[in-house]
Amino acid sequence: MNQWLTLLQKETLEMWRNFKWIWVPITFILLGVKEPLTAYYMPQILDAVGGLPEGAVIQIPTPSAAEVLISGLGQYTTLGVLIIVLTTMGIIAAERKSGVAAMILVKPVSFQSFITAKWAGSALLMWVSFFIGYLATWYYTGLLFEWVPFDQFLQTFFFYGLWLTVILTITVFCSASLASPGMAGFISLAAAIVISLVSSTLSNWLEWSPAQLTTYGNEVLINQGISDQTLPAGILAVICIIILLSLSVFIFRKKELAA
Amino acid sequence: MDQLANYMPILAPILIIQLILLIVAIIDLVRIERTNGPKWLWALIILFINIIGPILYFVIGRRSN
Repeated sequence: MNQWLTLLQKETLEMWRNFKWIWVPITFILLGVKEPLTAYYMPQILDAVGGLPEGAVIQIPTPSAAEVLISGLGQYTTLGVLIIVLTTMGIIAAERKSGVAAMILVKPVSFQSFITAKWAGSALLMWVSFFIGYLATWYYTGLLFEWVPFDQFLQTFFFYGLWLTVILTITVFCSASLASPGMAGFISLAAAIVISLVSSTLSNWLEWSPAQLTTYGNEVLINQGISDQTLPAGILAVICIIILLSLSVFIFRKKELAA
Repeated sequence: MDQLANYMPILAPILIIQLILLIVAIIDLVRIERTNGPKWLWALIILFINIIGPILYFVIGRRSN
């Protein structure tokens, strides 16, 4: 445990050194806050851009606070996912390439703690950034539209966070099992897109899919309460995370021993 | 201009955050030894492409080790 904490500390220190702790939260804030701002200022933006014929009247219905928050969250499941994958795709593959992994593993460090510490470090970064970003989005939505209850905010934060963690774990798994960071990033992005596309098109059958957690989060926001399917989807997400992590330890050990 | 002053309390935090991102990217660019691609090009990208520029630099411009 002690050793694991040291490894985790090394991870967070490294993320300080390459400024991940600064730019990832800032990016998440900007991504999310953009939505309430553009939704609120749309009439002024149209005015300023101009080009409308004299006397043209455009009626834009003011979106509700929940709709604005949902579109903000939509940013996290698209561009946010892209950022998460791009920042984590190299954590194992790049270290193996540059030889840092070998340097650490000659010391009595178990493969298990090496991988899980890396995973925990990037998961911590993701949860903190997502929380800060979503909190900013929630605050701005409250300021410009209406205040969404804080417990709904926390519930949706947790649901979305769980789904993002699944994607993060897929990326860690790809990073552990593939040689190049680029390939790992590409495959995990493709996997994330396919999973969310399939589960949204076949949503009647795949109610337990972890990707549906985002839909259940949205339902909470529009006051439909927590769906019955949330628990199975959440449990499946946790199981996926555990299986993927142990698989990545297994594959990584095999590859390292072979090399 | 009048209108702009009205929006300022709401927009200022965003602008400040954006500025922090830009400054951090520039500081890192100055201190780093080598980047992927020419350094001066990254300086231009960070300075002139809003928001996306610094993020792009951090994601693909930095060469670790």
